[in-house]
Amino acid sequence: MTQAIEAAGAEARERGEPDWLATRREDAARAYASLPAPTPALRPWRYTDLTGLDFASFAPAHVPLQVTGTLAAGGYAGSLAAAGDREVVRTHLGSLLPPTEGKFLAANAAQWRDGVLVHLPRGAAAAAPIVVTLDASALAQAAIYPRLLIVAEERSEATIVLRLTSGDAPLVVIGAIEVIGGPASRVRLLIDDGWGGATSDFTWVRARLERDADLQVAALAIGGALFKQTVEVELAGEGATSAIRAVALGDGTQHFDFVTLQDHVAPRTTSVVEVKAALAGAARSVYYGITRVAAEAIGADADQANYNLLLSGSAKADSDPVLEILTANIVRCGHHATVGPVDQEALFYLESRGLDRRTALQLLVAGFFHSVVGELPLPGLAEQLDDRVAAKLATAAL
Amino acid sequence: MSDAILDVRGLEVSVTAHPEIKIVRGVDLVVRPGEIHALMGPNGSGKSTLASAIAGSPAYRVDGGQVFFKGEDITAWRPDQRARAGMFLSFQYPTAIPGVTMVNLLRAALKARRGADVPAREFLAEMRATLEQLKMDESFARRYVNDGFSGGEKKRAEILQLGMMRPELAILDETDSGLDVDALRTVAEGVNALRRPEMGILIITHYQRILDYIRPDVVHVLVGGRIVRSGGPELAQQIERNGYDPILQELGLTREPAKAGA
Ligand SMILES: Nc1ncnc2c1ncn2[C@@H]1O[C@H](COP(=O)(O)OP(=O)(O)OP(=O)(O)O)[C@@H](O)[C@H]1O
Ligand SMILES: [Mg+2]
Repeated sequence: MTQAIEAAGAEARERGEPDWLATRREDAARAYASLPAPTPALRPWRYTDLTGLDFASFAPAHVPLQVTGTLAAGGYAGSLAAAGDREVVRTHLGSLLPPTEGKFLAANAAQWRDGVLVHLPRGAAAAAPIVVTLDASALAQAAIYPRLLIVAEERSEATIVLRLTSGDAPLVVIGAIEVIGGPASRVRLLIDDGWGGATSDFTWVRARLERDADLQVAALAIGGALFKQTVEVELAGEGATSAIRAVALGDGTQHFDFVTLQDHVAPRTTSVVEVKAALAGAARSVYYGITRVAAEAIGADADQANYNLLLSGSAKADSDPVLEILTANIVRCGHHATVGPVDQEALFYLESRGLDRRTALQLLVAGFFHSVVGELPLPGLAEQLDDRVAAKLATAAL
Repeated sequence: MSDAILDVRGLEVSVTAHPEIKIVRGVDLVVRPGEIHALMGPNGSGKSTLASAIAGSPAYRVDGGQVFFKGEDITAWRPDQRARAGMFLSFQYPTAIPGVTMVNLLRAALKARRGADVPAREFLAEMRATLEQLKMDESFARRYVNDGFSGGEKKRAEILQLGMMRPELAILDETDSGLDVDALRTVAEGVNALRRPEMGILIITHYQRILDYIRPDVVHVLVGGRIVRSGGPELAQQIERNGYDPILQELGLTREPAKAGA
C-alpha cells in the first residue's frame, strides 16, 4: 500500500500536477489505507451489502470527460486537472468532501484523473446548459473516479448536465461532486445515468449554499446494477434553498440506495427532497434521508418525500426518513413515504381506454416521474424520460 | 347470436374484495345498433357497478350470467380488450392521473383502438376538431388527465375521449351531472354528432334534461340491483315528476339500496 501511496504522488508530479495536489493525493492514499471499508453496521450502508464486490479486481482506469458549453469571460468549464494551478481549485477542491471521511472518498481523492471544473465568476450566467459527457463503454473490469467541482460565485447561474454511460462489462464508479454555491447563485445539476447493466456507482454530491443561493439536483437512475448516491446540502446562509430530486427505474436485480442530508444551519432556509422509484422484477430501492434543523435555523421550511411504486410482486422498497429538529420556530418540516403498487383505479381507467397493462404502466410510471424533471430548464427532457421509461418497461418483468 | 351490440344475460355482480357484497342481482339488457337506452334508479341501486362490470373492472366480480358484445361472449375479457373492440365507458367519477397529459392518453388510446400508430399530423387535426366540437380550449390537452379539472371539465374530457375513440357502444355514467345548462347542451350535441347508425348508447342518469337532447328508445329502472321496469321515454318523464316512490310502491319494494349479504 505504501508503494501505491508514493506512486499516487509521484505519478501526479510526473503528469505535471502542482506539488500541492500531488501531496494531497499522497494524503488521500494514506487515508485510504488506514480507513475501514464500510459495513452494514454503519447506518447509511445498512441496506447495501458490498461483500459481493471485489474492489481489488477492478483496475483503476481513465475516461476523458467531454465538456460543451460556453461561459462568460473569466469563467471556466473544462478539465479539472488542467485547471490545477488555479486558486479556485486549490481553495475548494476537497473542501466539502475531505478524503479522510471515508474509504470511497479517499480513493477518489487519490485516484481521480477525469475531473471537471465549472467556475462561474460573479454575476456570470451560462446561456446554454454545460454538458459533461462521460462515456465508459470501452472499459471492462475497471474502476473510474469522476470528480466534479462547481464553484458558483455571487449571483452566477448555470445548468449543468452530467451524462454518464457505460457498456455491459463490469465497472465500478466512485464519484465525488462538490458544489460551492456563493450568495444568490443558482445552480441546476442533472445527473443522467445511462449505466450499463454491470456498473456499480457510488457517488457523493455535497453542496454548501450561502445567503439566498439556490441549488437543484436531479438524478435519473435508470441503468446500472448497484447505484448508491449520497446528496448532502448545507444551507449555510440565510434564505438559501435546495431541491434534491431523483428517479429510479429498476428491473432484474437492480439495487438503488439514496441517501440525502438537508442541513438547515441558517435562518429561513428551504429544502425539498423528492425521491421516486418504480421497481419491476426483483429490483430494490432504499431511501435514507435526514432533515436537520439547527437551533439557529428559525423559519426553516423542509419537505422530504420518498414514493415507491412496486410494479411486480418481487420488487421491494425501504424508506427511512429522519427529522432532527432543534428549534420550535419552523414553517414546516414534513416527511412523506409510500411503498405500494400503482393506483388500481388509474390503471383501470387507462385499460378502459384500450391500453394493455404494459402500455398503461409505461404511461403511469412516466407520469409518476414528471415532477422530478419538470422544473429543470432543459427542453425535451420530460419527453426523453418518457421514451426511456417506455423502452425499459417494454421488456421489464412486471 | 342476435344482432345486438350489447346483450347482458342474467348478470350478477359482487365486490371482488368483498364477495359477500352482492350488488347486481340478475340483469338482462339488450342494446341494438342505433338504439339509445336510459338507465335510471335511486342512488346506490347498482347502476355504476353494472356499467363497471360491463366494462370489465377488476374491482367487481361476475358471479353469474354473461355479457355479449357484438355477438361475442366477453365476460372473461380484460377491460382493454373490450375497449379495443369498441366499448367505451364515460366514468361517473373520472380518475385523476397526475403526470399523464391528455394528449399522451389520447395518443395511446387511439393507437390501441386502431391497432396502429396514428400519424402526428392526423392525430392533432382530429384532436383539434373534437375539442372544437366540444367547445374546449386546446390548452386542455396539455393538462394532466382529470387532475384539478372541475366537475364539468372532467365530463367534457370523457366525451373528448369518446369522440376520438369512436366506440360502437358508449356507456355514459351520469355524464350530465356536474354540467351547467350550456355545457350540457354542448356535450349532448357532441354526443349526437358522434352518433353513427351502428352505435348503441346506454345513458345512466337521474334527470330528464339530458334525455331531451339524446332521446332514448327505452328507459330502464334499476332498483336493488335488478331492472324492475322498462318502458318508453315517458317513463323518464314520470320519474322526473314523481320520483321512484310510485314505482316502488306498486312493486311492493322499499327504497333501500342493495345491502351487504342481504
Ligand atoms: N367497491 C365497493 N365496495 C363496497 N361497496 C360498494 C363498492 N362499489 C359499490 N358498492 C356499493 O354498491 C351499491 C351500488 O353502488 P353504485 O355505485 O353501483 O350505485 P349507483 O346506482 O351508481 O348510485 P349513484 O346513483 O349514487 O351513482 C352502493 O351501496 C355502494 O356503496
Ligand atoms: Mg353511480
